[in-house]
Amino acid sequence: MSTTPVIETEGLSRHYKAVIALDALTVRIDAGITGLVGANGAGKSTLIKILLGLVEPTTGTAQVLGRSIKTDHTDIRRLVGYMPEHDCLPPDMSATEFVTWLARCSGFPQSAARERAAEVLRHVGLFEERYRPMGGYSTGMAQRVKLAQALVHDPELLILDEPTNGLDPAGRDEMLGLIERTGRDFGISVLVSSHLLGELERICDGVVLLENGRLVRAERLGVLTGVTSTLVVEIDGDAVLFAEALSARGIAATAERQHVLVTLPSADDVSVERATFDAVRDVAVLREASLLRMERRRGHLEDLFSVST
Amino acid sequence: MSDIVAGSSTIHDLGYRRYTGPRVGESGAWSALFVQSLRAMFGLGRPMKSKVIPLLVVVVSTLPALAVITAAGASKGQVPVRYGQIIGGQLLLFVLFLAAQVPEVLSRDQQHRLLPLLFTRDVTPVSYALAKYTAIFTAVFMVALAPLLMLYVGEIGIAADPAKAFSTMGARIWPVLAQSTLSALAMTGIGAALSSWTPRRAYATAAIFGSFLLPAAISSGLRDLAGVNRNVADLIDPIQAMRTMALIFFAETNRGMELNPPPHILVYVALTAGLGAVGLGVLAFRMRRIRT
Repeated sequence: MSTTPVIETEGLSRHYKAVIALDALTVRIDAGITGLVGANGAGKSTLIKILLGLVEPTTGTAQVLGRSIKTDHTDIRRLVGYMPEHDCLPPDMSATEFVTWLARCSGFPQSAARERAAEVLRHVGLFEERYRPMGGYSTGMAQRVKLAQALVHDPELLILDEPTNGLDPAGRDEMLGLIERTGRDFGISVLVSSHLLGELERICDGVVLLENGRLVRAERLGVLTGVTSTLVVEIDGDAVLFAEALSARGIAATAERQHVLVTLPSADDVSVERATFDAVRDVAVLREASLLRMERRRGHLEDLFSVST
Repeated sequence: MSDIVAGSSTIHDLGYRRYTGPRVGESGAWSALFVQSLRAMFGLGRPMKSKVIPLLVVVVSTLPALAVITAAGASKGQVPVRYGQIIGGQLLLFVLFLAAQVPEVLSRDQQHRLLPLLFTRDVTPVSYALAKYTAIFTAVFMVALAPLLMLYVGEIGIAADPAKAFSTMGARIWPVLAQSTLSALAMTGIGAALSSWTPRRAYATAAIFGSFLLPAAISSGLRDLAGVNRNVADLIDPIQAMRTMALIFFAETNRGMELNPPPHILVYVALTAGLGAVGLGVLAFRMRRIRT
């Protein structure tokens, strides 16, 4: 992994008359697949548009792949592929015509444009249907075409704005899989914006969380979704009494519906943990409660939101 | 669709490669945009119904020229060939062409929200404006030229001695080109400026028609009701201005002009070229300001 960040911003702000869309955003995004998370209006689209040069920042600077957004626009445009959130497919054009035309607008000669369009459309999984007018496409096919046009000029960075919008769960899985394969197999960095957390967890190496135009967190995902120090015990019986029995033995435990949450003591010695597990088992035996599940809780992206609000 | 989808997930790996070939950069992108827009002005590369009006306009506007040439030829030069008068009658057809086709080239991109896809490529707002404007101008020029060119070529062709005819009247090509260029400039300026402000093609078409018809109404109102000098009133009306300009270019007159000599040709040149330049400015301004 190179240490040059793919995106770096410093004090990036964008003010509109009534609204501050981005507020002094300073963030560094490394190579790999990064999720841009936030509720609607958090500033995700504004940040994306500034990075792409569609909107000018009010103050602050940013670099994309080491190039300044103020002076190196031409270079950035060549290296970045953009998949917008909104519909952008003319209904009476075919996918082939559309992607070929956009390849030419990226400065590809005619025959190379046609070849690249064909390759990229195959890559995203459109075959005979790519010759049909796009007005008849399903949402899944339309999203694939949008991804294809973002890839056609062989970018180094893909910026995808809500790529799974409007797709059913199966379609979302496929699109995410496609994005992950494209990023990993070909070394293309990806910035994926979404308000759906669970799916980002699946494919992202890191996540940037925005709220009201401000940076809330920016972390590598491993840190966030690593094992926590909470043990979740699911029993068939009275959870409150179970928790009290554990507390009587000096183990911090609280009841939550059918679960008992046991706080594991942080210790380098693994035998201390084991002693806690044994204690749980013993209490279950004593109280004749069925032990259904014992699991160390992992962090989820949802926790980010509950922490920040 | 699910069976296609299921099959595709195993085949995808063959498709994508990194690209190491040549890139032609902004000039290539500009030409691609220009050619595609020029073709779209004639309905090429679009469904069949987009070709109807361009075809209709070209055919109907050249028919009178063809008829006159045939008559002149049959009468061995007795029937005079009046360029200015003939083209003056076709101007409304050119406006129809403009109103029908320019929105296809400008409004449609906004309607389908293609601008963010273009402006994140080797296309800037200004180069986009230039490519579109040049394409529209080229198309309107070709349409405005066709009848005049037919008269010119026809007149030389039917002459008893074409070579001699060419040397005597060959210089008429200059007013032919001037009239076509200047009227195309004026029409392109108006059409492009109006169409760039709305993503709705129907509104753009109506606005373009209105921009030619409304001044005509105002102009005749000024003349008939307010008693404004005919020449001044005519300058407000683009179609009338182009008609008068044509008559002056080809050294023809009508009764109105004989009674009220029109201003110098340069006034009309400035008017049409000015409309063209202002239109380009408005188009470029709009493209830079548009929120994508």
